[in-house]
Amino acid sequence: MHGIKRQQYSREILKQKRIQDQQKIKTYKDLTHSALDTRDKGIFTTDALQLTSKILELNPEFNTIWNYRRDIILTVTNDVKPDFWENELQFTMEKLKRFPKVYWIWNHRIWVLDNYPNATDKIWLRELFVVDKLLSMDARNYHGWHYRRLIVKKLESINGKLMDKEELKYVTTIINKNISNYSAWHQRVQLITNIFNKHELNKKEMKDMVLSEISYITNAIYTDADDQSVWFYTNWFIANDIVRLVLTNDEYIKMLKDIKDNVILINNDDVEFSGKENNWCLKILIVIEKTLKEAGYELDKDEHTEEYLKKLIDNDPQRRNRYIYLSTKQ
Amino acid sequence: MTELTLLRDKHIKYIESLDNKKDDYEYWLSEHLRLNGVYWGLTALCIMDSKDTFKKDEVIEFVMSCWDLKRGGFGPFPRHDSHLLTTLSAVQILATYDSLSVLEKDDKLELCVQFIVGNQLPDGSFQGDRFGEVDTRFVYTALNALSILGKLTPEVVDPAVQYILKCYNFDGGFGLFPGAESHAAQAFTCLGALKIANRLDALTASQIEETGWWLSERQLPDGGLNGRPSKLPDVCYSWWVLSSLAIIGKLDWIDYEGLKEFILEAQDDVKGGISDRPNNEVDVYHTIFGLAGLSLMGFYDLIPIDPTYCMPTSVTATFKKYPYIGK
Ligand SMILES: [Zn+2]
Repeated sequence: MHGIKRQQYSREILKQKRIQDQQKIKTYKDLTHSALDTRDKGIFTTDALQLTSKILELNPEFNTIWNYRRDIILTVTNDVKPDFWENELQFTMEKLKRFPKVYWIWNHRIWVLDNYPNATDKIWLRELFVVDKLLSMDARNYHGWHYRRLIVKKLESINGKLMDKEELKYVTTIINKNISNYSAWHQRVQLITNIFNKHELNKKEMKDMVLSEISYITNAIYTDADDQSVWFYTNWFIANDIVRLVLTNDEYIKMLKDIKDNVILINNDDVEFSGKENNWCLKILIVIEKTLKEAGYELDKDEHTEEYLKKLIDNDPQRRNRYIYLSTKQ
Repeated sequence: MTELTLLRDKHIKYIESLDNKKDDYEYWLSEHLRLNGVYWGLTALCIMDSKDTFKKDEVIEFVMSCWDLKRGGFGPFPRHDSHLLTTLSAVQILATYDSLSVLEKDDKLELCVQFIVGNQLPDGSFQGDRFGEVDTRFVYTALNALSILGKLTPEVVDPAVQYILKCYNFDGGFGLFPGAESHAAQAFTCLGALKIANRLDALTASQIEETGWWLSERQLPDGGLNGRPSKLPDVCYSWWVLSSLAIIGKLDWIDYEGLKEFILEAQDDVKGGISDRPNNEVDVYHTIFGLAGLSLMGFYDLIPIDPTYCMPTSVTATFKKYPYIGK
């Protein structure tokens, strides 16, 4: 159970609940037994389908009943009315709206789409709008993002056309709305990687893309320097193969130094404003210094990793053992 | 403010009371979790050194009544369909009672292994049942159950490991599917699967450091741990993160005292049990994971728990280690 407030019920209320529950339990058990009985008799009819609807209405997590429902659908599929599959999608949508985190419902919706007779790209495209809507209600819904990736993959294979660039526009909009949407940053990594690996970009396009990403990150760290989303993204970006490949070593070192200067500036601002250093700035500065050295740049007196680690041991005590580990590795 | 402590006796009472709730509608609505619930309850009791609270014969009888005659494997409740998740719970309960031999009757062991292996897909992943839901949880579930049964083979393990590696993300975490966002529960299932396969070496030292970093950043100022960035802390995620850190040998990359306080505050001091976070309704799921976390951090002389299997180490020590050498 998640997010349900603890309550102490009085004896009286508990008594009342027990009385009400008696009827509910009877209804539920009768329905369940009758569904499992018809299943065991090998009955796969539209009447039986109605029975599963009733049970799933009461308990959308009853996977055995979902299974029975699918077996029924596979049996009656040639005799159903044309709007049957649309109704089935509608049925799962009602459940998803009420229970957006139940695996079994998402799973059933995907199954329905996979089995939808002659499903055109229109059907799948509509799913993209559906998932848009769900993500607009909960922009971090784990299932929703997973579902979106599955739909896009399907559309790409139906239409023979990659959708990474459109999807990148989508996640950019989402990030611009809320910079700490980690799910969107995660997706950004996937898309940028795909664009470089699967699309045929020329050298200029590649370089433009890397440069625009650098300015996007720079903007982002100034916008919210306390949120770990953008920092994890930065941590990935500055050392990934794409950037190393596209930029010359001199350009690469310049990029790192620029980001470093900006991070130092942000940290100084924090010190001035609150009297405290920004732990995330320190953490990323350590990574940048390491990456600079790996790129062959001599930091010499400019190297402060040891000092940053010492500060972090004090300022971020929950993770102090990680910093101690890193400093013994130095 | 009184100092918080572990309400061991209350938790034992709470778990004992779970099967006396047949007058509650919720009891029936959760049939599909019953066998998992028994595993959670039993393991929680083991951690509190109170295994005998449950009657062994009754539990084993219930487990065997969940056997799926049609497809092999175990469902969550009599007459329900088998699934990898519940099959693992059944095997874990039987192993905890040192009673795996009950599977020898009617070829159940063979059928159980067939059910699990039969759900592996060509890319090494596993579906939970015949309807095709794929998730790294099921890779872990399958390898875990096969490992307890001593039936891992390179044909199953090697592609599964390759699949898990495809779920490793840019931030050091793991997702439920290649390309899916990192999530603490998936970190646990992926690292657990690699550990069971004895293939943690498939990750480089620096990859593992990234994993440790991402995991350690799950701890919030109140001491609790979340499952993903910018999410609320939760006792169950605390276990997924903690066990993952233990598997990669970086358990102390978070603050024990803070997490201990968070778990203790989530206890119900009236009826026992632990909830997802302080002041929420308790359940057996968060009760086991809260206790397992406390055990892993070495508090209150609890019975030691194995982070990979979430079972007492005294039980997991008897499992055959993969790769099997000799006969
Ligand atoms: Zn939880």
